[in-house]
Amino acid sequence: MTSIREEMWTNRAILFNFAISDLKVRYRNSILGVLWSIIEPLLMLSVLYFVFSTMFKFDIPNFPIYLLLGIIIYNCFKNGTSFALNSLTNRSALITQIYFPRSIPAISSAITASIMLAIEVGILLIFMIAFQFVPPITILLLPLVLGLQFMFVVGVCLPLSVLNVKFKDTEFIWNVVVHAGFFLTPIFYQFDMLPEFVQNILQFSPMVQILTMAHHVVLYGLLPPINSILYAVGSISVLTIIGYLIFRKYQAQMVEEM
Amino acid sequence: MSEYAIRVKSVSKNFKIHHEKRDSVFESMTGFFQKQKHSEILQALDNISFDVKNGEIFGIIGPNGGGKSTLLRIISKIYSPDSGSVDVQGKIIPILALGLGFHPEFTAITNIYQSSILLGFKKETIDTRIKEIIKFAELEKFADTKVKNFSSGMLMRLAFATSVFVDPDILIFDEVLAVGDENFQKKCAKTILSFKERGKAIVFVSHNMGLVREYADRVMFLNKGKAQTIGSPDDVIAAYGDFCRERDKISNVSNE
Repeated sequence: MTSIREEMWTNRAILFNFAISDLKVRYRNSILGVLWSIIEPLLMLSVLYFVFSTMFKFDIPNFPIYLLLGIIIYNCFKNGTSFALNSLTNRSALITQIYFPRSIPAISSAITASIMLAIEVGILLIFMIAFQFVPPITILLLPLVLGLQFMFVVGVCLPLSVLNVKFKDTEFIWNVVVHAGFFLTPIFYQFDMLPEFVQNILQFSPMVQILTMAHHVVLYGLLPPINSILYAVGSISVLTIIGYLIFRKYQAQMVEEM
Repeated sequence: MSEYAIRVKSVSKNFKIHHEKRDSVFESMTGFFQKQKHSEILQALDNISFDVKNGEIFGIIGPNGGGKSTLLRIISKIYSPDSGSVDVQGKIIPILALGLGFHPEFTAITNIYQSSILLGFKKETIDTRIKEIIKFAELEKFADTKVKNFSSGMLMRLAFATSVFVDPDILIFDEVLAVGDENFQKKCAKTILSFKERGKAIVFVSHNMGLVREYADRVMFLNKGKAQTIGSPDDVIAAYGDFCRERDKISNVSNE
């Protein structure tokens, strides 16, 4: 793990070069360009807001902000991992011709998603002003929560990038996981609305805990519950270690499959 | 700095050849229960050892499928050897195909930056040399064109110019210089010789025996993954010539 951190530092120029070029390639030939990274979550927000405030009549305080916070945080996870899936295959010419650390495309996918998240947090702040919501002082802890999420996203991106070279199924399976995760994460509902036995299972999901912590620091003005911190750090560490081991096993032979 | 730029010690590499490639988990699972084997082992390199000194031009010749490209990929760290070791002193630039892993959607300039940064060079270094690179590649009019619109000659010129101006310690070519026109080939040859004079190592694969005889200091003849001979160009080219005549004789006999 320390080797990955050192690799990231020595190769930071490449990492950012990839992250920026990913953004450029992603929005090339589109008229609205980077604006899409703002429009997309806003469209999601309006659909979900309409469905859950008028049809289901959910009564969550500051619902638009609650919803947008969940959408952008989950989007970061969704975007980072889906960029990572094809991060190696999209660069097959580069990878078969030049050696560079194979972790870079996956990590830069996580960085690309984080840059998009940073833009979306800006939108969230605009929303707060529009709804005259004064954020509590604990919002200053949000970067720490997002830092933890970044670790989690990197930990998932690494194995996804190499597995998708070897098994094309990875992409299809992962799309289902991401879809299911959207409904199994308290984005448009509150976690304690769920039956207790479901809560007991879902509490091991890193995204559930990250979102719970984000709700606490941004909306409730409370420190994240100690349980959330323990579960999040625990599950993220385990997943990241497993992810790293999978990555290490496949990273060298992956080139021969291209 | 040590005398050797590259030391290859008893490197072997096997490839699994899938006759029916299993790409999905389902196929892997069903294939697991099938009795007949769908793959065989191809020994691409078998116990290869050689050194390349600083200031030396090292040629590799041999028939197709002899392991030449695999060897270059292992020296460039793209493949990892199954056994043995490769020790490389200094920065290395491999030109293994047309381009240096160029992205078709990026312009020539963006690609120069991306490839050289990936090869371990600083952005500032490239800033000072970018104009010379474009000029050397004779691509002044196309610096801002996406490389997907480039001809193979243009791609090769861009790759060669980039590799030369970022000034690596070791240059590796896999049979790509033949793409350029005569004028550019002369320019390449001149540059490669000046590299050699400055004590840099060059490894190249070629089927053009005239070129090998003219430029290489030492040559290796690689066949079926084994190093048949390593030595002076004349000796090794003669050995390769014998091999080719022998092979033709056998195929003629079998044809009759």
